[in-house]
Amino acid sequence: MRVVTGVVGNDVHVVANRLIEISLKERGFEVFNLGVNTYLEEFIDAVIETDADILLISSLNGEAEGWSRDLLFLKNRFDLDNVLFAIGGNLSVGEADADDMIKKYQAYGYDLVFHQVDLNEGLDVIENTLKKSRSVS
Amino acid sequence: MFQKEREIITTTPYTDSFDFDEIEDFIKKASKNLFISHKFKKSNKILVQPRGGFPTYEKVFELYKEFAQAGVDVLPLTIDSNTRLNDYEMAKKMLALSEETDENMLNGYPLVNHGYRVTRKMVTHYDRPISLRHGTPDARLLIEVALASGIFEIEGGPITYLLPYSKNFPLDKAFLYWKYVEKVCAKYSTLNEPINRESFGPLSATLQPPAIVIVIQLLEMLLSLEEGVKSFSVSFSQTGSISQDIVSSNVIKKLARKYADLFGYSDANIHLVYHQWMGAFPRDKEFSDSLITTSTVIASLVKADKMITKTRDEAFGIPTKEVNASAVRNTQYTLGILKGLPNITDPEEEENLTQMVDDILEAVFNNPADTLWRKVFNSIKSGIIDIPFSPHIINNGEAITVRDKDYNIRFYKRGKIPISDKCLAFERSKIDLGGKSLVENIIKDIGIML
Repeated sequence: MRVVTGVVGNDVHVVANRLIEISLKERGFEVFNLGVNTYLEEFIDAVIETDADILLISSLNGEAEGWSRDLLFLKNRFDLDNVLFAIGGNLSVGEADADDMIKKYQAYGYDLVFHQVDLNEGLDVIENTLKKSRSVS
Repeated sequence: MFQKEREIITTTPYTDSFDFDEIEDFIKKASKNLFISHKFKKSNKILVQPRGGFPTYEKVFELYKEFAQAGVDVLPLTIDSNTRLNDYEMAKKMLALSEETDENMLNGYPLVNHGYRVTRKMVTHYDRPISLRHGTPDARLLIEVALASGIFEIEGGPITYLLPYSKNFPLDKAFLYWKYVEKVCAKYSTLNEPINRESFGPLSATLQPPAIVIVIQLLEMLLSLEEGVKSFSVSFSQTGSISQDIVSSNVIKKLARKYADLFGYSDANIHLVYHQWMGAFPRDKEFSDSLITTSTVIASLVKADKMITKTRDEAFGIPTKEVNASAVRNTQYTLGILKGLPNITDPEEEENLTQMVDDILEAVFNNPADTLWRKVFNSIKSGIIDIPFSPHIINNGEAITVRDKDYNIRFYKRGKIPISDKCLAFERSKIDLGGKSLVENIIKDIGIML
């Protein structure tokens, strides 16, 4: 399973990014880590280039909201229906209710949304979702 | 040729017009008290230096007054982040806003925009050494202005000011820009007391393995001495384990001298700088005071020549001048009462660390490139030098470190760092993940002071 991951926007929180990479590798994923300071277009390019199964975007400073508005447009432009889109971290700049954030980001085009969720719990959900989709297809 | 290059660099509407003859004359006649290289020779205590900088001249002047009253040994001048990225236009705008509104619209002093004629007044007024703290990959103009102002210590280096701070800035360019810095420092070092260069050992301040810190310190030292610098400070920050700090200090002192002599720079003076805890600070201010005091005790045990202080407001942002000065006062008091310190050595740990450093350096020196900076560049690119938690794309990012039960930082995975199987086995024999996942251990290890 191939994952493209990275931190979106002008966000330099490298520690969390690295922990995600290590965790994904421990779980047996093939990881393409674009690191901090990554723009949405760069993520999409990498997904196409690597033929990834999952795109896992993270955001620590809440910038993701501003950057995610173009996601549906980019998703529709390329044929990315088979790719699982996930986002996690602190998804709002200030305080926010997790259920509101999930709805909002699902509307942006993400399949899985993790607002302030423990890293391993989030990765468990991703793995289970992938297993289910494999058993269906 | 070089002078022509300097004229091009310093000719810009964003700073004073440069009068190189006048600047040389100023440095020739400058007070010895402005030179930290001189203070290192004369002083028999650990010099205390805080961090700090504000946008306006007046606020820095007030900050220095507060520091002077607290008994500071070395004053800092921290530069704002626009200047660090060479965006002097934005720095100019924000400086104007800061002056109009009395709000701090910059996180440091935009030295280039203020210029050397104005800044020099403040420097000579306080008549103490000042250390330039920045984080600039291309610091050519900045250090020209600093040295012309009477700031005779320049922190940074091509590796230590790039890999922890930037994702994309080209590393090969950083080496060449810093070569310029070394050359100017070397040139001015012949006029009076030497200009001191200091490397930035904390790196990304997150579980940095001492072997890699020391390798990078020694390489930046050699790159600087190669250009004619005569006074250099290597540095590292508190690891979290007192014993690892002492081992690191013993090894870095021994190896800095060894490699400086080996490369033919036995006339250069090498100093050790210790950074108080650079990781995440507790939000309880009493706990922060305790942490700072503990750091001061360790700085004494490792026999640093200078230490750089933190403040009780570290978890909350840029400290006020009063809070900053009180940390200096606290640290000076603690230093004053620390008497009868033991001499501690740990031969087994020191041998292991020395072996790792020597092995990595050997691989760097054996790179077939023609110059030292290219050997170092290639070594970073190929992962021979690898910094945990660097945001830079050139950094290999394969090596993984965790703490052992005594909080020593150990290699869990070496990646392409050429440490021997024996050393890796020694490191790994100390690690006990306690039945938890690697990532859970790392998260715990990062937050030990919280």
